[in-house]
Amino acid sequence: MKLNLTIQPRFRLNFSPLVWILLTLMGIAFVVAMIRYIYGIGAISDLSYSYPWGFWISFDLFTGVVISSGGFLMAGTVYILGIKEFQPLLRPSVLTAFLGYIMVTIALLVDLGHPERIWYMMIHWNGTSVLLEIGICVMSYLTVLAIEFAPVVLERFPALHKIAHLIHKFIMPFVILGVVLSTLHQSSLGSLLLIQPAKLHPLWWTPILPIMFFNSAISVGLAMIILESSLSSRYFQRGLETHLLEKLAKAIPVVLGIYLILKFGELAYAGDLGYLFTSGGFSILFWAEILIGIVTPLIWFSIKKNRQSANGLLTGAIILLVGMILNRFNVSWFGVVHPDPMFYMPTFMSNVKYIPTLPEVSISLGIFAAGILAFGLAAKYFPVFDEEHAHATGD
Amino acid sequence: MTEIKHHAYLFDATRCIDCRACMVACSVENNIEMDKTRIWVSGVGIKGEYPDLQRGTMVYHCMHCNHPDCMSACPVGAYTKAEDGPVTYDPDLCIGCRYCMNACPFGVPHFDYDKGIIDGAFIDKCTFCPQRIYNGQEPACVQTCPTDALEYGDRDELLKKAHARIASRPDHYIDHVYGENENGGTSYLIISHIPFSELGLPNLPETPVNEVSEKVMEMTIPFALGWGAVLSGVAAGVNLYNKKKEKAESTAKVEEVK
Amino acid sequence: MTKTLSRRDFLKLGGATSAALAVGSLLPPKVAQAAREAGHLNADGDGFISSMCEMCVWRCGLIAKIVDGRVVKLDGNPDHPHSRGNLCPRGQSGLMNTYDPDRVLTPLIRVGKRGEGKFRKATWEEALDLVASKMTEIKNKYGAEAMVFSSTHNLSQPLFENLLYAFGSPNYGTQRSLCFNAMIVANLMTYGMEEPARIYDDKLKYILLTGRNLLEAISTSETHDLVMAIDRGAKVVYLDPRYTKTASKATEWLPIKPGNDLAFHLALLNVIIGEKLYNRTFVEKNTIGFDELKKEVSKYTPDWASPLTGIPAETITRIAHEFADATPHALAHNGWRTSNFVNSFHTQRAITILNAIMGNWGTTITTGAGEESGALGAPSQPPYPRISALRLDGVPWKYPVVPFKIGVFQEMRDNIVSGDPYEAHGWFISRQNPVMSLPDRGKTLKAFEKLDFIVTVDISLNDTAWFSDVVLPEASYLERYDPLVPIGDKVFLRQPVIEPQGEAKSALWIYKQLGERLGLGDFFQYADEDDYLRQQLEPTGISLEEIKSKGWVELKETSHAGESSELTWNTPSGKIELYSDTLAKVGFPGVPTWEEPPQPAEGQFYLLTGKVAQSTQFGTQNNQLLHKYSDDPRLWINAKTAANLGLADDDWVEVTSSVGMIHTRLQVTQAIRPDCLYMTPGYGHLSKGLTTAFGVGAADSAVHVTFTDPISGGQALSQTFVTIKKA
Ligand SMILES: Nc1nc2c(c(=O)[nH]1)N[C@H]1C(S)=C(S)[C@@H](COP(=O)(O)OP(=O)(O)OC[C@H]3O[C@@H](n4cnc5c(=O)[nH]c(N)nc54)[C@H](O)[C@@H]3O)O[C@H]1N2
Ligand SMILES: Nc1nc2c(c(=O)[nH]1)N[C@H]1C(S)=C(S)[C@@H](COP(=O)(O)OP(=O)(O)OC[C@H]3O[C@@H](n4cnc5c(=O)[nH]c(N)nc54)[C@H](O)[C@@H]3O)O[C@H]1N2
Ligand code: SF4
Ligand code: SF4
Ligand code: SF4
Ligand code: SF4
Ligand code: SF4
Ligand SMILES: [Mo]
Repeated sequence: MKLNLTIQPRFRLNFSPLVWILLTLMGIAFVVAMIRYIYGIGAISDLSYSYPWGFWISFDLFTGVVISSGGFLMAGTVYILGIKEFQPLLRPSVLTAFLGYIMVTIALLVDLGHPERIWYMMIHWNGTSVLLEIGICVMSYLTVLAIEFAPVVLERFPALHKIAHLIHKFIMPFVILGVVLSTLHQSSLGSLLLIQPAKLHPLWWTPILPIMFFNSAISVGLAMIILESSLSSRYFQRGLETHLLEKLAKAIPVVLGIYLILKFGELAYAGDLGYLFTSGGFSILFWAEILIGIVTPLIWFSIKKNRQSANGLLTGAIILLVGMILNRFNVSWFGVVHPDPMFYMPTFMSNVKYIPTLPEVSISLGIFAAGILAFGLAAKYFPVFDEEHAHATGD
Repeated sequence: MTEIKHHAYLFDATRCIDCRACMVACSVENNIEMDKTRIWVSGVGIKGEYPDLQRGTMVYHCMHCNHPDCMSACPVGAYTKAEDGPVTYDPDLCIGCRYCMNACPFGVPHFDYDKGIIDGAFIDKCTFCPQRIYNGQEPACVQTCPTDALEYGDRDELLKKAHARIASRPDHYIDHVYGENENGGTSYLIISHIPFSELGLPNLPETPVNEVSEKVMEMTIPFALGWGAVLSGVAAGVNLYNKKKEKAESTAKVEEVK
Repeated sequence: MTKTLSRRDFLKLGGATSAALAVGSLLPPKVAQAAREAGHLNADGDGFISSMCEMCVWRCGLIAKIVDGRVVKLDGNPDHPHSRGNLCPRGQSGLMNTYDPDRVLTPLIRVGKRGEGKFRKATWEEALDLVASKMTEIKNKYGAEAMVFSSTHNLSQPLFENLLYAFGSPNYGTQRSLCFNAMIVANLMTYGMEEPARIYDDKLKYILLTGRNLLEAISTSETHDLVMAIDRGAKVVYLDPRYTKTASKATEWLPIKPGNDLAFHLALLNVIIGEKLYNRTFVEKNTIGFDELKKEVSKYTPDWASPLTGIPAETITRIAHEFADATPHALAHNGWRTSNFVNSFHTQRAITILNAIMGNWGTTITTGAGEESGALGAPSQPPYPRISALRLDGVPWKYPVVPFKIGVFQEMRDNIVSGDPYEAHGWFISRQNPVMSLPDRGKTLKAFEKLDFIVTVDISLNDTAWFSDVVLPEASYLERYDPLVPIGDKVFLRQPVIEPQGEAKSALWIYKQLGERLGLGDFFQYADEDDYLRQQLEPTGISLEEIKSKGWVELKETSHAGESSELTWNTPSGKIELYSDTLAKVGFPGVPTWEEPPQPAEGQFYLLTGKVAQSTQFGTQNNQLLHKYSDDPRLWINAKTAANLGLADDDWVEVTSSVGMIHTRLQVTQAIRPDCLYMTPGYGHLSKGLTTAFGVGAADSAVHVTFTDPISGGQALSQTFVTIKKA
């Protein structure tokens, strides 16, 4: 049998200005990353003894992981709950997740002091480390996502259809594993900060951080599916599955409502309500996050009109995402109080402020650009949005 | 010297003159690079208004916690807590994630930000000078201290000494030994004439900082198994239901056809 | 930029220099061989060797850890009374002075203009011949006195003195008049000894420190003593216009108005004598001149002193009572760098007398151990030639009570400039940095300009060497033998712990070589360092091997001075002289007398100086380890004063005195009197040969005005008044 591995573009994707911009961003990031590998992280970032984690962790890791949560939500909904009508949303979500986690991994390879040792996490296990759990989950989940997405690629090559079929057949255990892994690491990102009760402001530090993180991963995942579908329907001139998205949007207020109750219930229980208005900048950040990320979308998506219009859906999703991304930044950066300026340190290490540098941000932008480009390319060459195939999946 | 079962230090802030001999000694003993240090002196600076002034100095390095948070956090287990006290770090395992820096409530581990992958960027922190303490010498920082603000010995003995010193000069000291219970107890014990928070020390409970996260970690595997089982059950149930429904539907169709 | 050794192996530096050594000398490494023989080093050249610190004059005992022939760590020697196992930050960092990449390791001969810093490397042969010929030329042309000598206290100073006295010059400048003349001369006039020893025993209850910043100007053992005394609950009253680290540990800090310590102490004497709180038996038995003292101090009531000192009269009275109550377990500390104002001699006398009349003798102060011991021998030598020329520094013709070996250094410099009473033509400097340590740096450089020939013996290209014609590299204190020094019943040895780097040589070697070239070989009758030490040990019966192996030995028989029950003093009267006839005879007041110190005019400030724990004088700022752990040197100004002048923290300012102007940065602080400014000494180096220190901070000596205390000859280092404005 002769393998035919040539593939034809499915959509037109010209070297539009957008593509040029993306490529430029990637190029800059590449150069900056090389500098970092040669001269060290300090050469390009403002990270310091007081601020070991900065923009990369807040943006690439915390934000990157949570906005990739659509993948496990859709996989779970379609396969486990067997709600087949969401099938059309499955592939784009899995693709986003897959690319999202690859981006997270690339960012970690920049951030880690010893990127070449990332695999040590697979062999040297410290059972008390939340980071270990996240590392293992993310790496395993990436494999699961690859398996989940593989059929999409394989289908493009008639010769490989058989393999695609085989994967389809045994997909269920992987889906379950994927959901379990996602549940674990989405919540564990919250657990990661449990070890900082002395550093993370009490407005954010709570022993139920993992639950809060899992809950918000759901609302963010839903919002991401809405956002992605809306944007790609515009970019690739497809019809929007508004009827499906409306159903998703209906679930959002419920999830956010639970969040609100948990958050304030916990603050009240811990006796931290006093901090709500008395913590200066922290209070402002906290309220911004709650109002933008929770309260506004809760109200917005409770209104039927908003759920039924393409613009209404998109607007609501964006508001929610902005607020929740702020939450991730708050929890992992803005709300963390590091050993403070009072410490005498020899002047060469007295950096007690942290302002991400341009090169630092450029790394994240470059990786992000690569993600968008990869999404475009995948959509161009593979049946990501293909109704027929999509319907066929899961048989 | 008494037999040392649990190596520890005692720092007496009332005696420390901020001379930094300890910092120099550590740098030389451990061949620390010129732009690094394993010891910090937190100058509380000068408080008050001329001429009513107060000044305090806090010298610290790794507290060699009884329940080290660095160790709890490190994904690859690069940290070890020796039974007799010292918390040490193994560069051969480190992946450079810097989670230990986040975890340590005292901000002790620090990282080679100026090293690329060829030089190798590592974490550094106080080692308790094993090359000295296991050869009958005091740690370099302790030995040099011109005022005995830093002392070294067995943790129990030092605790006794600290309490005795406080008892003999209640006017001079705050009645508390920092590190006796903080963070589950540390091997670096501190007594002072000015409040510990003013010395820059975090106000930590007696339970170690890593308690909650370690509990959560303990629940992870049972939870994963449970959750996996639930999901499998649901999936199987849904599958069964769908199959039945399908069957029913097809039977209905068949019947209709009939 | 500085050559910062940022890599992990800063201690490996100098690998280059030891390679050079291997080529240069084909002899087997003597130090390692000797150390191996003494059992210090194993076959690999690793081990521990005991010696003595010389990062400052306190000379703590140290134990050097040697690995592969390199010193990698210094620890305090627990057997040494000055270190007790501890080293201060300077002592800890000492190996970095030795391994400083800026070390001068070959003789240098100037090729460019003076001060341009252009030198060529030379052999010892050539350099020593040049120095000897220049010195001989000057001697032949203008007389031996046209060659001036100066050196700061160190163990090989006896050899240096041998050189200059044998050469026949009376002109000898030491750091002493910039440092402790007031205290030394006051003690000599009162007790007949330079400095009594202080006893910090368990019973010590009260310590009065007059500007002795013991917790920053560290003397390891005494600093330890003071902290332990505080620990035991002793009350410490500390007078200083600045809130120093000592002030922060003292029970009571009195921010006294500079220069008025005399008024404070006179008032203490007034209360104590007026209220008859002194020890009458002791005074009657052991002192003379009490009545004169009583009469004089009766004028100086606390009410009188209060406006002068800025200290309430009640406080002064209370302290007098407290001090008297604590007596004899009370100590009025003389201080060390006591030459602050033109009246400092009287201040010192008042402090000394306070201890005397309270009868603290034998309880908190006693006969100083001193560094001279009759027990040690010395190579024989002929008598020095008679010297008839006047001394340039005015001793004794202008300063009749200043001892010869102490001198008035700044006056010597001034008279080189004025050429009065005669012109000098050459200057031989060792282990000293007068360009920085003398006040009025511009004037010191003027003196240099007048001279035909300047030679400096140093370990680095310090600012003085930078302006010299020849620089001779001495081996550092970790690389050489020095003459033995007795401390109490023990004798201590400085011995090399590593091979000298490059061509550096010990002072014992340098002065002998020079002496021989000057035809003065008879004054240096020893074959080498070992031989010198052996001759020193001769009368004690102790072998050189024994002291080398241990680093110190106990003297077998010592005469205990304090054993006789009758106390006698080495004064003309044999008693403690509260009234000094010696002083009176040469026209000075015989008892401490109020002398109004000058004050800054409107808009001017006192400019204070004072040590920090991380540097010694002017010679350690280039030490990279100390540089690393030092605070940025900035000009202290009181926060209120700064606000009034519209100045803020970190501002660049211009500081101007009658002799100079400097630019520096401000440190706004609460820790200083509103009428004072303070600068850390030792910064603002001129020598570009100090790559770490060059460009850091500013030099207070560039603005210090020269004022000499007419009695003790001490330079009044706090008596400079400056204006300040935004730069
Ligand atoms: N770390 C360190 N230790 C040293 C040295 C060193 O260079 N560095 N040098 C050694 C030497 S050679 C010496 S001489 C000693 C010096 O030891 P100290 O005499 O203690 O030395 P300084 O720091 O020069 O001056 C002490 C204080 O005098 C204050 N002062 C200035 N003017 C007046 C005044 O009019 N009245 C009063 N009451 N106080 C005044 C200054 O603010 C300063 O804080 O230190 C020795 N130890
Ligand atoms: N502005 C200001 N002036 C002051 C003072 C002050 O506090 N402020 N303090 C005064 C006091 S108390 C003093 S004691 C004097 C000190 O004044 P100096 O004695 O002139 O100053 P130091 O810096 O001690 O000079 C020592 C020199 O010896 C060199 N050296 C170090 N080790 C060796 C060695 O082994 N061999 C040789 N040959 N040279 C070596 C160093 O490099 C340095 O150049 O300064 C006085 N002047
Ligand atoms: S102080 Fe920090 S680095 Fe040291 S043992 Fe405790 S947690 Fe670990
Ligand atoms: S930086 Fe190294 S030592 Fe610290 S937690 Fe990460 S792997 Fe462990
Ligand atoms: S114990 Fe050793 S490594 Fe730790 S701070 Fe002290 S000298 Fe440095
Ligand atoms: S050596 Fe001792 S006195 Fe000096 S700073 Fe360190 S702890 Fe304080
Ligand atoms: S006081 Fe410090 S610098 Fe001076 S001799 Fe002792 S250790 Fe060395
Ligand atoms: Mo001095």
